[in-house]
Amino acid sequence: MGKYVLRRLFHGLISAFVVVAIVMIMIYTLLDKQLIFAADNVYKNYGNNEKVAYQYRKWEEYGYLDYLTYTDYLSLLVEKGEIDEETKTSVASIGKKPENDKKETAEYVEKFNEYCAANNYTVVRLNAIMVSPKKYANGGAQQLFAYKALPITHRLVSYVTGLIKVDNIHYVEKNTGDVLENPGITFTLHDPIYGGEKFAPAIIGNGTKHKYLLYFDGKFPFIHQNLVTLNLGQSYAVNQGVDVFETMTKPQGSYVMTTTTFPTGLTEESADDLHSAVYVSGSMLANKVNSDRFTDDYTSVTTVKAGKSKMGYSFSIGIISVLLMYLIGIPLGILMSRHKDKFVDKLGTAYIMFITAVPSLAYIFLFKAIGGKLGFPTTFDIESTSKMIYVLPIVSLALRPIADTMKWLRRYMIDQMNSDYVKFARSGGLTESEIFRKHILKNASIPIVHGIPAGVLGALVGAIITERVYVVPGAGNLLTIAINQYDNGVIVGVVLFYAILSVVSIIAGDVLISLVDPRINYSGKAR
Amino acid sequence: MENKDSLFTVEGMTDEELFARVDHNSLDSEKITAPRYSYWRSVFRVFFKKKINLVFLGILAFVILFAYIYPTVVEYDKFGNLMDSTAKHLKPMAAMKKFGYNIHWILGAGAAGQSTFDAIWNGSRISISLAFICAAINMTIGVLVGAIWGFSKKIDMFMMEVYNIVGNVPSILLISVLVLILSPSFWSMVFALTITGWLFIAYFIRTQVIIIRDREYNLASRCLGTPITRIATKNILPFMTSVIVTLLAVEIPSYISYEVFLAYIGMGMSDMSLGRLIYEAESAMVTPGWQFEFWSPVVIASIITVALYVTGQNLGDASDPRTHM
Repeated sequence: MGKYVLRRLFHGLISAFVVVAIVMIMIYTLLDKQLIFAADNVYKNYGNNEKVAYQYRKWEEYGYLDYLTYTDYLSLLVEKGEIDEETKTSVASIGKKPENDKKETAEYVEKFNEYCAANNYTVVRLNAIMVSPKKYANGGAQQLFAYKALPITHRLVSYVTGLIKVDNIHYVEKNTGDVLENPGITFTLHDPIYGGEKFAPAIIGNGTKHKYLLYFDGKFPFIHQNLVTLNLGQSYAVNQGVDVFETMTKPQGSYVMTTTTFPTGLTEESADDLHSAVYVSGSMLANKVNSDRFTDDYTSVTTVKAGKSKMGYSFSIGIISVLLMYLIGIPLGILMSRHKDKFVDKLGTAYIMFITAVPSLAYIFLFKAIGGKLGFPTTFDIESTSKMIYVLPIVSLALRPIADTMKWLRRYMIDQMNSDYVKFARSGGLTESEIFRKHILKNASIPIVHGIPAGVLGALVGAIITERVYVVPGAGNLLTIAINQYDNGVIVGVVLFYAILSVVSIIAGDVLISLVDPRINYSGKAR
Repeated sequence: MENKDSLFTVEGMTDEELFARVDHNSLDSEKITAPRYSYWRSVFRVFFKKKINLVFLGILAFVILFAYIYPTVVEYDKFGNLMDSTAKHLKPMAAMKKFGYNIHWILGAGAAGQSTFDAIWNGSRISISLAFICAAINMTIGVLVGAIWGFSKKIDMFMMEVYNIVGNVPSILLISVLVLILSPSFWSMVFALTITGWLFIAYFIRTQVIIIRDREYNLASRCLGTPITRIATKNILPFMTSVIVTLLAVEIPSYISYEVFLAYIGMGMSDMSLGRLIYEAESAMVTPGWQFEFWSPVVIASIITVALYVTGQNLGDASDPRTHM
């Protein structure tokens, strides 16, 4: 059994990555790469040559191409020891036009061109744009750089290898070049954040990206870690520079102020979550606020917010509607099959038909209108403490799954009713309700049980229309927003997340039915 | 003894007639005296026996004919009243008072002063066409591929992998990327909906074929040396008719619903389909007094999908030979 599940899981993961590859090919090679700037305000404010240079910088950042400026090339030469710093500064500034270059500079520009030609880079030289002989146009300074398009395989490999990052004590040195005094990991039983008195074990790193690698706090699940982080992909437009997984799991809403004691001993009302401290090179001395509070460069902290995360909202709505689906759908399905062709059955069939045939948009709006008339709030407000705001989204989300459960359970139960074992049970003198409860329901519920993991995990994904109609800040809209804003990093990340969830839920469903039904066996040779 | 006598009496026939000797006729004895059975006649007999089906078929025929004939007869110009600021967002009564009492204004006027009624029927024609074309393409390819998929074990292995992978690519993403690359036109929408849509139908058909394929009567047929194409067309296809009709009943309205959904999240086509109308009227939904603009296309879309669904489902039930008794 274990072996079988592992094999399926491995198989599923491979197909999830093939899905990611297909999606990457689709959005990175078929779509115009200019589109990613559609929602970028910085891009809009740049003009002329600077705009072009900014484009290439961003394209490099998001993995489209390899970007090499003339200055980068000179630094490379300095590193190799071919020229010294002095020559570098003297030849670094290029002329407004190629013919205006100083003789020495022209020599190095020529070398740059040769280097680029040898390494398959395409050189771009933009001449200065002037409004008057002395004055540059907005962003009109001359530019010299080269670029090389990166193949999609390169992108895929770097995405997959960078998916899981494990924090280590060489992080700071490798990424920023800063040399810390004593990099290492310390274990303490008394977390300094709680004043050093309270018993709270924590693992603190120095030289790692995160300061706190493992810590306890009062929030579920009480033990937290920053050692292993998941990098599903960096966002560009939706939540700039932030990872998709973080976008989905980060709390939203208003700040929660608590009395916080900073490492320097300063005590303040603050929403900062000191456990989330991340290393930023040279940041302690960069401004007074940081130097007042922190004793090292671990200064970048997130804030504590009152609301749930995107996924949190989607899940709390989703999971209750899944519960409703089973609590309402199953009894109604049983009722319909017991009174087949009677009034109850016809009423249920009419409901199923209504939900299946009518566009989901129509009945969600219908229930929104009805709910609004009954006095339930129709727009979701994060700040509200009332639980009533959850009622309508949950009901809207549950309507369809209830209908599906009723339909299929009725179908399965009616199929079972004609089987020989039911006739045998009846001839043995069992009462109708006993037959239904002990025999038919058990057999008919196996396909329903198969769908439980998919229902629970599917609740994480959220619902597109329901969340849009009730303005729920959930995860369901993330994919559509990302598509609308051409945020390719988010699209890829979300797709991978969906694909893995669907693979896991199918396998979990298969395992679950083999636990419920002893006849189903995956490890036997009979298969 | 009296009981035994009455057992052999038939009204209107004397004992002599009943017990007359019949000569042996080898030609007559070969005839099978079952009642004449025609499959499609039985289908329609069962279908029309339910009066509710007649009602829904009537609604369906009316809606489809109206959607195709009305826009060709009536000239519809969305921006005809654009400059007239008093013509916008009118309730039916106000619109009729303004423009005169005729059929155009019975659903009021929209955001550009256009007739909602005319807009809806233009939109319905586009939506219904999209649904029928997509269903025709997907069902044809899906059933053919599904039949082959179900029969060959080698193809099954390969296609299952394809299905697992393509099934996990979010369809919204696929559609929006394709529509973006091509252009948000009617035919690129058809292309986007059909490029992977057939796969899910093929998978469904494959499962049905596998269920029927190994039944005893097919085993017997194979033992007798019937070629596989003959088994497929004569033994299995008739069995599948009701499955296919039922599937079709779900598929056609689902394309209309899906188009509405796509348009609502802003990824639809540029043609003024029903979904696009709903999308554009969404802002009117929150303004008191303007809700009519939003609800009219929603209600018409629901009527079309419900009529298609019910008619199709009942036709599917009727095409199952087990109901022909």
